[in-house]
Amino acid sequence: MTTPLVEDTSGLKSGQTLLEVDNLIMRYKTKQGYVSAVEDVSFVLHKGEALGLVGESGCGKTSIALSLLRLQADNGEIMGGSIKLGGKDLVPISEEEMRTHRWNDISMVFQGAMNSWNPVYRVGDQIKEALDLHWPTRLSRAEVRERIGELFALVGLPADAQDRYPHEFSGGMRQRAVIAMALSCNPQVIIADEPTTALDVIVQDQILKELKRIQDDLDMSIIYISHDIAVIAEVTDRMAVMYAGKMVEFGDTADIFSAPRHPYAWLLLSSTPSIVGPRRQLAPLEGEPPNLLDPPTGCRFNPRCPFATDQCRVEEPPLADIGGGHMVACWNYEDVPVGITAGGVA
Amino acid sequence: MLRFIGVRLVQMSLLFLVFLTLLFFLLQAQPGDFSRQFLDPNIPAENRDLIAARFGLDQPLWRQYLTYMGNILQGDLGVSFARYPRSVVSVISERLPRTFFLFTFATMLSYYLGFMLGKVLAWRRGGSQEMGITLGGVILYTVFYPWFALVMIWFFAAYLDLVPVNQFLTPIRWREAPFSANTVFASIIWSTLLLTVGLGLSLWASRKPDNLAQQRLIRWGGVGLSFALFLAFWLPSDRRTFATDIAHHAVLPIFTLALVAFAGVMLITRGSMLETLKEDYILTARAKGLAPKTIRDRHAARNALLPVTTSFVLGLAFIIGGGLITETVFSWPGMGELLLVSVQNQDIPVAIGSLAMVGALALIAHIVVDVLYVFLDPRIRYQ
Repeated sequence: MTTPLVEDTSGLKSGQTLLEVDNLIMRYKTKQGYVSAVEDVSFVLHKGEALGLVGESGCGKTSIALSLLRLQADNGEIMGGSIKLGGKDLVPISEEEMRTHRWNDISMVFQGAMNSWNPVYRVGDQIKEALDLHWPTRLSRAEVRERIGELFALVGLPADAQDRYPHEFSGGMRQRAVIAMALSCNPQVIIADEPTTALDVIVQDQILKELKRIQDDLDMSIIYISHDIAVIAEVTDRMAVMYAGKMVEFGDTADIFSAPRHPYAWLLLSSTPSIVGPRRQLAPLEGEPPNLLDPPTGCRFNPRCPFATDQCRVEEPPLADIGGGHMVACWNYEDVPVGITAGGVA
Repeated sequence: MLRFIGVRLVQMSLLFLVFLTLLFFLLQAQPGDFSRQFLDPNIPAENRDLIAARFGLDQPLWRQYLTYMGNILQGDLGVSFARYPRSVVSVISERLPRTFFLFTFATMLSYYLGFMLGKVLAWRRGGSQEMGITLGGVILYTVFYPWFALVMIWFFAAYLDLVPVNQFLTPIRWREAPFSANTVFASIIWSTLLLTVGLGLSLWASRKPDNLAQQRLIRWGGVGLSFALFLAFWLPSDRRTFATDIAHHAVLPIFTLALVAFAGVMLITRGSMLETLKEDYILTARAKGLAPKTIRDRHAARNALLPVTTSFVLGLAFIIGGGLITETVFSWPGMGELLLVSVQNQDIPVAIGSLAMVGALALIAHIVVDVLYVFLDPRIRYQ
């Protein structure tokens, strides 16, 4: 079985490494024991790059995002690994020092962006709060207004919208304002966690295009998190497929879409309709993600995997490079058919 | 907004008339009347009838009702039977400020402390300290209040002898006094009211300027000026010693009331804060890198304030029940004690008058809260 070798496009524009996550482990402590939400995750984000994280609900996507800002829930603990931002490890630093990095270096567009606004303050005042805290010089009220006006122009909102309260905005406007707020302090990295999930398809598309344009204009690095692989396909350069807290496949978005090598990625793509190419039967992904309190031994996907062998039930496959920066954690990735989906052609 | 307030005022006035009618008939439903109160068997029957006729108690009930309502509409609450010939208005205007002082002070204290401690408790949830304070709060909240008040009197007044036992003043000190207790008390009320307004204004004004130094100047300057004026009024005044006497008597009832009310406020704030802390915007605030104190006070506590405000209004109802008990236990001659005594000896005009006052206060408080909500929650707008 051969893998189509595609030219390595990682580190696209400058090749400059911005964020380097190494063997990150984050677990939630519960009465029944530790829940391993993020297990041994490593990736690199370059300047100007859009990276996607895709997977089912509860597979650890949001946990990764929160860990990067060290905002995991009170019972969550980073138990190993490093998060290097511009070479500086964020894991061991104090909470006070971490606060100076939040929003200033890594900002976030949250999953429930609709509810990200405090209902009792004006939108502009909530952005001002971040500017007052992180802007290198102290801005006067007029300068803050001007800055927010610029940001609003960037996301397609009128400047005077900053005087309104969140409930006076439509869903799409609130999302645009959230993006403006995320951009306010010129962060190096933006994490967009399900940025468009709560919006209708038309607004969803507008927002994604807007984000893509802003990313190109400002040469930003964005980590997109979504369960919707169509979104990931549209906006990212490289992507990671997550399963049960582990990264199971990593590579160029185009590569993974054309030839997924991990059985889970293959099944995930087979369960999603495509409007291009031949009509085909959709194959539902059977079963449920495992209980992370007591994950299966060996490969965590083995109970649901059609290609599982005895080795898979005992030994955990490492995330290994199979050429061209395409990484897969599977013993039998060569068994996964290329060009054929699990449902077959209709 | 103005139209809303107007409509509410009309509604409230109608409600108030219904309330008065109910009061009138409920109180009249007691057997007998004022003229039958005198147990002395030597009073001849014709004298009793004479008393009844003088107070109009021999008239049919509907006529009494019409006369009463007619007088009320002209602002006349009638004449007290037991304190004849003093008018109800004069009796109430003597008593109301005392109750008002006691409860306003205790309520403000309990809400301030309860809110402050409640938000800290929610913020530090899970610790043994938090458990202990919450448990203490639950005990205070559920304690049998008259018993608790007696324990407080025993401990602070009798055992430690820090404060006088009961009463509004020490009569022996006032024997030669050049002022009446009410005059002195009126100046206490006005001066503390102005002090509170002064403090409130300085805190409000200190938020306006953009830089921190100016904010601090206005805040502490305003607070200092308010206290300086307060002291400048009292220190040279010859009423000072008498005012101190009244204040000394007020300490224990205020403290007891505040302690019990405070527990309730603390528990409500804690619960409300715990809900607010789950909101997404708290996570946003944390992601922005805001300091924990800013997140707690500006984002969580500000939203947790809404249900606490509602309970504040309901807390005003506590004045009716709590006032009766507090004032009786502490022998504080206020509205509660007046109400109790007047109902006991069927001084109907005073009884209706004081209950009507309580009702009017509760209705006004509701309008105040409706208006306050507009400022607290921008999502609430009245068309």
